[in-house]
Amino acid sequence: PGRWGSSNMAAPVQARKTVEFFYDVLSPYTWLAFEVMCRYQQKWNIDLKLRPFFLAGIMKGADNRPPAMVPAKGQYMTKDVLMLTDMYKVPFNWPSNPTEVMFVKGSVNAGRFLTTVDMNCDQYLEELTRQLFLRIYYRDEDITEPASLLSAAMKAGIPEDLAKQLLSTIKDQTVKDRLRETTQTALDYGAFGSPTIVAHVDGKPKMFFGSDRFELMAHMLGEKWHGPLPELAKAKI
Amino acid sequence: MADADKKVIELFYDTISPYSWIAFEVLCRYRSRWNIDLRLRPFSLAAVVTETGNSPPGRVPAKLKWMGKDLMRQAYFYKIPFRGRKDPNNDMANKHNINVMLLLTAVTMDCPQHLESLTRELWLRFWSREEDITQPASLEAAATAAGIPADQTAALLAKLQDQTVKARLTKTTQEALRHGAFGAPTIVAHVGGKPHMYWGSDRFLLIADLLGEEWLGPLTELAHL
Repeated sequence: PGRWGSSNMAAPVQARKTVEFFYDVLSPYTWLAFEVMCRYQQKWNIDLKLRPFFLAGIMKGADNRPPAMVPAKGQYMTKDVLMLTDMYKVPFNWPSNPTEVMFVKGSVNAGRFLTTVDMNCDQYLEELTRQLFLRIYYRDEDITEPASLLSAAMKAGIPEDLAKQLLSTIKDQTVKDRLRETTQTALDYGAFGSPTIVAHVDGKPKMFFGSDRFELMAHMLGEKWHGPLPELAKAKI
Repeated sequence: MADADKKVIELFYDTISPYSWIAFEVLCRYRSRWNIDLRLRPFSLAAVVTETGNSPPGRVPAKLKWMGKDLMRQAYFYKIPFRGRKDPNNDMANKHNINVMLLLTAVTMDCPQHLESLTRELWLRFWSREEDITQPASLEAAATAAGIPADQTAALLAKLQDQTVKARLTKTTQEALRHGAFGAPTIVAHVGGKPHMYWGSDRFLLIADLLGEEWLGPLTELAHL
């Protein structure tokens, strides 16, 4: 609402719209969506809230299956991810053994580590997320071992002693519970995969799935879609 | 512009597929903006799904619920009169049938000038007005509403079970499968002598990039309906 006679003669400022980004770093399309949201955070009047969740928990909770179980679909998605990340200038490379990365090694430790950072020092959450994506989907590096998580944390600018302390909490019940709660919150919003983006518009949550609804999201947020915005890219390689 | 310069875009679609309706309307609008030669290719989604071991997306309840909302939002955004159905899962399994795609195939063979309008009319019947499309009388009504003359309509309906029509539908479906199709819509853009396949109605930014064209949004001012 406007303030007449205020010493600040600026026009009334619209409150920032909250956009919750529920994600698991195990998902290639999620990296794309993450980078796009980080760029648009600078363009749109939004308050981006990163919400690390557990994709395996989402798939189980929604009774869903990974898409690549249909061979022709898997082949298409392999190319699709490369075309999209190329256009959006996200430095994506397929790992040498995607099946092992996605279905054997998984992301529970990474999810818990992101969660403890979210709970304790969330100013590092965006960059830690990015460093984990760079490990798994740019350099084909592990994200399950403590040494891997520590390396990502330090590249994200987290001081070494703080990073080690955070790492020691990932098996704490509070951290496990928080990851589970975030996953359940996403399921309650209707999630069945990653990313799940919830834009709060006029007090109502609007859920979007995937990395290909940004133009529609812009329309619903009353914002403008400017395409890939590569000039605002943050993933440095 | 010389026709030889136009880039061929094939749209493989089945009128049971609501996302295919979006792709259809968008590509029809973009004919007047992009240097393209749009070729409508009715195919059998059921056959594609079976061949590839795929399953309908409505198997996952949360996904079905989201798709309902997604389609209504997209219909509003693109100004397409999609209204959904009370029981989409059941209707897609039981209220659609191969005769619809055989009819569109027969039109492709005998009077392709009516293909666009009949395609649109079938989507309107099934996904906008929740009308029947299983009975011969319904197909006749659709053909009439699409502007196909009565005698042509009768001839088309009489040949739906002909081997030539079935073979043509199978051939089109096989072509889509060879391009790597596993669902609908399947868009194949021919650029630089190579086919480039896209699935879904949400890759127009990529397609624009491939064509060296600009994405101009929903172009609702060109909405047909």
